[in-house]
Amino acid sequence: MTQSPTLSRRSTSPSAPAPRKSKRSGADARAGYTFLLPWLLGFIALTVGPMISSLYLSFTNYNLFEPPKWIGLDNYITLFQDERFLQSVGVTLSYVVFGTPLKLAAALAIAMLLNSKRRGQGFYRSAFYAPSLIGASVSIAIVWKAMFGDAGPVDQGLSFFGINLGGWVGNPTMTMPMMILLTVWQFGAPMVIFLAGLKQIPADLYEAASMDGAGPVRKFLNITWPMLSPVVFFNLLMETIHAFQIFASAYIISNGEGGPAGSTLFYTLYLYLRGFSDFRMGYASAMAWLLLIVVGIITMIFFKTSKSWVHYSGDSK
Amino acid sequence: MIDRRNFLTTVAIGSAAAAALAACGAPAASQTGSAANPVTINYTWWGNDDRAERTRKAIALFEAKNPDIKVNGNFTDFAGYWQKRATEAAGGGLPDVMQWDLSYLRDYGQRNQLLDLSTVKINTDAFDKSLLPSGQIKGKTYGIPTSTNAFAVYYDPAKLASLGIAEPDGTWNYKEFNAFLAEVGAKGNGALFGGTDYTSVWWMFNVWLRQNNIEAFTEDGKLGFTKDDLKKWWNTTADLRGTPAIISEERFTQLAPKSPFGSNVTGSEVTWDNFMASYLGDSGAKELKLVPVPSDDPDNLGLFLKPSMLMVASAKTKNKDAAARFIEFMVNDPEVGQIFKTSRGVPASKTQRDGTTFEGTDKLVVDYEKSIEKYLKDAPEPPIVGFGTLEASFKRISSDLNYGKLSVDGATDAWFKEAEDLIKQNA
Repeated sequence: MTQSPTLSRRSTSPSAPAPRKSKRSGADARAGYTFLLPWLLGFIALTVGPMISSLYLSFTNYNLFEPPKWIGLDNYITLFQDERFLQSVGVTLSYVVFGTPLKLAAALAIAMLLNSKRRGQGFYRSAFYAPSLIGASVSIAIVWKAMFGDAGPVDQGLSFFGINLGGWVGNPTMTMPMMILLTVWQFGAPMVIFLAGLKQIPADLYEAASMDGAGPVRKFLNITWPMLSPVVFFNLLMETIHAFQIFASAYIISNGEGGPAGSTLFYTLYLYLRGFSDFRMGYASAMAWLLLIVVGIITMIFFKTSKSWVHYSGDSK
Repeated sequence: MIDRRNFLTTVAIGSAAAAALAACGAPAASQTGSAANPVTINYTWWGNDDRAERTRKAIALFEAKNPDIKVNGNFTDFAGYWQKRATEAAGGGLPDVMQWDLSYLRDYGQRNQLLDLSTVKINTDAFDKSLLPSGQIKGKTYGIPTSTNAFAVYYDPAKLASLGIAEPDGTWNYKEFNAFLAEVGAKGNGALFGGTDYTSVWWMFNVWLRQNNIEAFTEDGKLGFTKDDLKKWWNTTADLRGTPAIISEERFTQLAPKSPFGSNVTGSEVTWDNFMASYLGDSGAKELKLVPVPSDDPDNLGLFLKPSMLMVASAKTKNKDAAARFIEFMVNDPEVGQIFKTSRGVPASKTQRDGTTFEGTDKLVVDYEKSIEKYLKDAPEPPIVGFGTLEASFKRISSDLNYGKLSVDGATDAWFKEAEDLIKQNA
């Protein structure tokens, strides 16, 4: 069989001449690109263009006002001698490494709870999704700051149990747990995707397992986890990339300074400060490209390792 | 079941649902100017609610007197203010008229972002001739000072009285001042700290340098002081850090952007004298008093009058004339003086100053500036390009010092590294 399924379905007769086919597929492609055009134009003008110019800027000394001066790899070399940069890498990595798995665990746990048939499921789903709706907004970061401040609800609640940490906002060792809690609380988006995945696992698998006497843990490990692994993989990938890009909440909680003592100096926040506070846009561009490359490498590693733990039904493994 | 083909559908449906819901949270587009007949100019400033209210009144008055001009006002806090201006400048969209700080005059002036105000009609006859140069760079006038301020020590007499501490008279050296902070902290019993770490304020360091006859920057834009000077300065309060004499950095950070003094957690504060109005507003105190800063040389207090803020216009403004008229109004009009009193500082223009009645605490500010007249030295020139960054890193590194993350030596090295890097960058 040389014909693709699509073409064979559309061809009126199997003996149709070859040139007509390619003409048709050319027309299809034209129509396709025409429909794609609005998005494509936006993508090229608003994403590809700026990306290319930022790649150029990353090799220059550019202060926003004067024309950029070519300095070769200087920005990239200076980066690794910059203590604040190294600090921002450390802060971001610990956020990604601890925040992402916790968030996914919370999302999966809630999704499994919501997957059972109970009255008012629609309400619960909306209620659990709500934090993610408002979570990225400025107001929530402000509320978060107030909650974890001196004599805020969190401080008072913990004092009730005899734990006196004081306000978290001003304490360099407590700001990271606070930021991680903020992201874990916004588990809605991965939760919705997990839920969609859970719904596609056939119920008869669980029935069969019950018949064989499998408990809930066994069912989770041997049915839910492998069946859900493509979705877990997707969520892990998206949330990791997402976590690297954290900016708004860190900016607001630290008044745009990355404090206290640099404990919320996330990568993107430092990038922003370098670009827009210190007028070193070339340096900031180099940081942006480095982030892109690192995230790209991490994604690649995820894909490579996924072969050993992600199972698609129909595959031989 | 999830196979390779419907896997994407699963994910896409989930993501689309998330995206659709997320889209509901997108902010509304900001409003643009009115389409009415008069020309509209944009004006932006930094400050608190108190200043916003006063500015709103001044704009209303200006519009009443100039029916052909509408002014669109907009404000943020100080730190966010400069990030916003940088973004606008990069896009060529700076507001027509802006409140400006000396720290950033070179950054924008030397890079042709600000209008040379000598090319438009603004009357500066009523200004002290020694003050105007602080808004000028290489013969061009980029800013007109609205008002002046000077460094001072604030205290709340009622709080000191309740602790049984005598009011200071402002003739003190650093040792005596530290002892005062320690006494307030000790008697404050955890509820009231002595003050903030005054060595974390760049301008107080600048005052101290001048007390020791050192200029902060040389004429060719290099640092005029050494690492040893800075070490000595940061060691001035070494014994106070971590004691109740100085508010803990944790508390300080929690209170931001409000000041500890305005939040009634410290008994004193070393800063500009024009913060009086905002401190009174924030703290609700009945009365606050001002005395001169400490000095080890009683004849040299190192003090100077600085333009507390300047009025500048964007080089790209399409309404030069309207912008000039608004600036002239804001700096010269006596009624504007009546609205702002000393909340911007003491009015720099004699016309405005004489037309303003200063009572109560406003009179204290004016009297304070008169009382230190004999100690005053020339106003500083606009500092070097990138000074705003240096000022911010001075504060940040001082904060690391107070958190105990850095030693004085480490902090000094860190600041010098950043400063030298910046000076090299902008050379």
